[in-house]
Order: sequence, then structure tokens, then C-alpha cells
Amino acid sequence: MFSAIYIEQEVAEFERVRRLLDRFPQVPQVICERYGQIFNRKSQNFRLQKKSPALILAKKYGSLVLPAPAGYGFDESNSYYFSHMLNCIYDCRYCFLQGMYSSANYVLFVNYEDFESALEDKIIENDGAGVYYSGYDCDSLALEPISSFCRHFVPVFSKFPDATLEIRTKSTQIRCLLEQNVLDNCVIAMSFTSQQAAIQWEHKVPTLEKRIEALRKLQQAGWKIAIRFEPLVLDGKHGESYRSLFKSIFSSLDVDKIHSVSSGLFRMPVEFHKRIVKLYPDEELFARPTSVADGMIALKNEDEDLQLMEIERHLFEYISPQQYYRCA
Amino acid sequence: MFEHGTNTKERNLQGGAITSVNIVVAHGLEARPLISMLELQPEKTDGRYLVYSNSAGATLIVSGMGRDAVIAATNYLGEQQRDEDDRLRGWLNLGIAGHRTAEIGSAWLANKITEQISGASAYPPQLLAGFASCKVITVDKPETAYPEDAVYEMEASAFYEVATKFSTAELVQVFKIISDNSSNPVNNIDLAMVPTWISTQENEILDLLSKLEFLVTEYNVSHSLSPAYESFCARYYLTVNQKIQLKRLCQRYRAMGREADLIAMSVSASGTGKQLLQDLDSQLNGVSSR
Ligand code: SF4
Repeated sequence: MFSAIYIEQEVAEFERVRRLLDRFPQVPQVICERYGQIFNRKSQNFRLQKKSPALILAKKYGSLVLPAPAGYGFDESNSYYFSHMLNCIYDCRYCFLQGMYSSANYVLFVNYEDFESALEDKIIENDGAGVYYSGYDCDSLALEPISSFCRHFVPVFSKFPDATLEIRTKSTQIRCLLEQNVLDNCVIAMSFTSQQAAIQWEHKVPTLEKRIEALRKLQQAGWKIAIRFEPLVLDGKHGESYRSLFKSIFSSLDVDKIHSVSSGLFRMPVEFHKRIVKLYPDEELFARPTSVADGMIALKNEDEDLQLMEIERHLFEYISPQQYYRCA
Repeated sequence: MFEHGTNTKERNLQGGAITSVNIVVAHGLEARPLISMLELQPEKTDGRYLVYSNSAGATLIVSGMGRDAVIAATNYLGEQQRDEDDRLRGWLNLGIAGHRTAEIGSAWLANKITEQISGASAYPPQLLAGFASCKVITVDKPETAYPEDAVYEMEASAFYEVATKFSTAELVQVFKIISDNSSNPVNNIDLAMVPTWISTQENEILDLLSKLEFLVTEYNVSHSLSPAYESFCARYYLTVNQKIQLKRLCQRYRAMGREADLIAMSVSASGTGKQLLQDLDSQLNGVSSR
């Protein structure tokens, strides 16, 4: 599963770390001083590393709960994100993480208790409210059997009913959720692209059917679910590919109970795009014409507004406009 | 872990077919078995170093012992190969080393390289599956006490630092074969055995080289340029900056499945370099969402 496990000296004796290492006696375990020695090094190649990533167990210092980027979420209230992990076990070609980090290794910050205190402080600072996103720098659930992220963090929010936790994922690792009490202020947000886009660009990601099935089970168990159509890659075909996607998803779920549905076009900071192009000069997605505004790069699409409207028109055949928002 | 198919024996890989990998050894005795294993021939050089290569492109340099020697030799080889465009090569430092308990003749891939004098460490990415790995400590004098559970040798840290300037870290590896341990200390090494210890690891070495080569090839193929690029360069006067733009345009044509258009243009286009870039760009950008 991992090509190696690097362990920061400082966390080597953590109980959480010892338990984890015991599960991988066959994987080379290498002690390091700070994770940045491996993760932030120059002369690394994300694409090559993605073939066989290592796991880095580290302690996160500094700000653990950060303001969410503008336009990230569904709510006008104060929103924040926290990242117990950097990088993802899936390999979506459009993923901005490829341009954000020079290494494809997974960093798991194991000082969960510090994250927990930082979250509690932030929630208290917000009078018990706010929206807290997990899954910005990783997929929240994908490594659950190893990280026990949900098992630890979901109960934290049981103490703060007015604060919302959104767990963003493409994973079907939902057992941890099904095995614990449903929390009304926790939303599991599953991301989708069109079937065609998934085949072309979402490597190692569970199939559309399996993701829908996971959502169905979660909904049946009483969990709040949300759907994220991101990134939308317009194909000039009047949203046809999305039409069938919407049908597959919404015909399997109790639509009225869906917390929210959002869409967001493919876009990322110009610098990330530049780095990704260097990694994947042969990738068709990054060869497409682009436009730049405010430091962000997007695909240039003819009739973009029209195409988006078509997609939304198909969407509103299933959901109400009140359930929907467009990401900035 | 990344295995990329069958092992070396099953693929019946011949040493003479190893391409795109540079091997740096400290001593002629370490070079000898590799020369026959990889069917290397001496290269004509300016006399500073012994350099060998095979027709497929593998190269070996004998650096001399110690950090300074390996820095100079690795730089020398890297600079010699600078004109190879954007293609990368794999780099391997191979040689004998000591370890407190490891068996004489056993082989270890470095998963951490610590330079004893500075305490600085580097961590070669572990993309090559199937090899025992270990911490390597680079010392300036032969280590006789072997205080840590690590491989002791004299070149790896310097080699790694320089080689990663010429290639990406995933393609730079250090492989050490044990020549001395607490029971057979370094002062008792029978130097005549060095070629034998290395030869005994032939399968491992070829397996390692072929896995390294596989990654190198994959990288180079994905970054390769259309032949049209050279045609354009031959036909137009282009500044350095324009060549960079042309390169990216050629990559985009290929990525979008339009290389045939590009090649057709490379034989028919006329005008200035600036016009060429504009034409190539506008033709591509005419294709918006597909
Ligand atoms: S699932 Fe999300 S985080 Fe993971 S690779 Fe895909 S886009 Fe990136």
C-alpha cells in the first residue's frame, strides 16, 4: 500500500503511530526529523511519485483551522477548513493538489488532539457556529481504515450542534459513519463529474455506481448528504453527459433530503496549472485553450454561460433551486 | 508498490540493453563486474575519468573515493550530457560498504542518506520495489565501530546531492553491497573479492537498473517532442523564448491528437518565427470545448 513510511522523530512514540506502524511491518519505516525534508524538497516529481507514494506521519504546527477560500462552501456564515492529511490516494488528473505540492506522498498529521482543540476554539470564537470543511487538501474518507479520521473528528461536533462539519469525499469508506450515531450537523458531500470525465480523468476513484450506493446507504442511515459536481468540464454537448449523471444519482436518492447540491467549473491558480503542465505535457485536458482572470486559470469554453444554464436546467428537473449553489 | 510487470529474469533482460542510466562507482574494482554485466566499452574522454558506455546508452564513471571525488565526477558526467534536451537519466551510485551485522555480499538500497559530518539527511523516494532498504551514513574515514544499524560508506550523500541537480530525486538511487561488518572489519577486506561480491548480485543489479530505466523511459516518452519541433527549428530563426513557446505548442498538438496537423504545418509553413507561433496558437485555440 505504501512504498515506505516516514515517521517524524517527534511522533514516533505516539500511540496512534505505534498502532499504525504495527499494521505495516513489511513496509520500510524511516525516521525523519521534519516531514518537510521529504515533502517539500525540490527536484521531486509528483507524477512519478504517484506510482508508489509513501506515507509520512507528522505533527502539524501553526494554524490548524484556516479560513476557507472565498466561494468554497454553501453557507454565508464563517467557514473554515482543516487538513489532517495532505494528498490523496486517488489520482484525478484535474486535481489541483498536483500543482500545489511537489510530492505525491501522503502526509498524515497525527496530532488529532491539537486539531480537536483548535476546532473547539474556533467554534467557540464563532459563538458555537460556523462551517468547517474537511477534504480540501485530501479526500477525507479515502484513508479512513488507516487514519480513523471520522471516528475521531465526527464526535467532536456532537458538542456543537450549531457548527457544521462538511466531509468532502469521493470515497466509499463509510463504515465508520454507519457504525456511529448520526450527527445532524455533519454533511457528507460526495463529488461527481460526468461518466465520461470520470473514465478519462478519475483514476483509482470508486465507480459512479459505488459512490451513489454509498450515498444511498448513508442517507438511509439518516446522515445528511450533499452532492458536489466539481469540476464541471464543459463538452459543448448541451449538458447531455450531465443529464444521464443526474438521472443516475437523483433516481437513487431521497432528493428532498439532500442537504445541498453545488457545481463548480474547472479552475485553479495559474501557478498550479503551470506546474501540472510540466508534469503532464501529454495530457489533453491541460492542452486545451485557457483563460486567466485574477490569477486563476480556467478552460476557455464557447457559450460557457449557455452550457452552464443547460446543465442547471437538467439539474432543476430533480432538485429545487434552493438546494443549489454555484461555486465561485 | 510499483512493480511494473514481470521481474528481470522473466523478461530476460540483458545488461547490454540497459539505457539511460548513469552509474557512478568509486573504484575500478567495483566497475569491473559492471563493465561485463552491462557490456560497457571504454569511452574516449579528456583523460580525467574512466568512462564506459554501452550502445544502448548506459554509462559508468569511475569517480575515485570520497565525497569530493564523487562530486567532481558526478558533475563532470552530468555536464557532459547537458545537451540531451529535456530528457532525464537515471543515476545510481553503486559500491561496497560496511554494516555492523549485515551479511557480507548482501545488497541494500538507501532509504535515507545521512552525511555524518553535517548531520544532513536526504530521503531517496522508494519507488523501486523488491529491494532490502536501509539507512546509509556517509563518512569521511572508514567506519570500524558501526555504531548505528546502518550502511557506512564514503560517497552516497555527495553523489545524491549532485545527481539530483541533473535528474529528479525518484530517478537517483544508491545501492550498496556489504564488504565488511563487525566480524570482518574494514581493515581485513580482501579487495580481490570486490568484483565477486558485485557479480553475485547481478540479478538484483539488473533488476534495479531495469526498474529505474522503466521510470526514466516513461518520463522521457511523456515529455518527448514531436519531430515537427526540430523541423520548425531548422526552418525558422527562433529566440530561446520562442523555442520554449514552440515546444509547448508542439506538446499541446500531440496531447490533443493533432500531431498530423503539426507535421503538415512543419513542411508547409512560411513567414517569420513570430507568425509561426501565432498560427500554431490560433489553430489550436480555434478548437475550444470538444
Ligand atoms: S479525489 Fe479529490 S483530492 Fe483526491 S485526487 Fe481526486 S480531486 Fe484530488
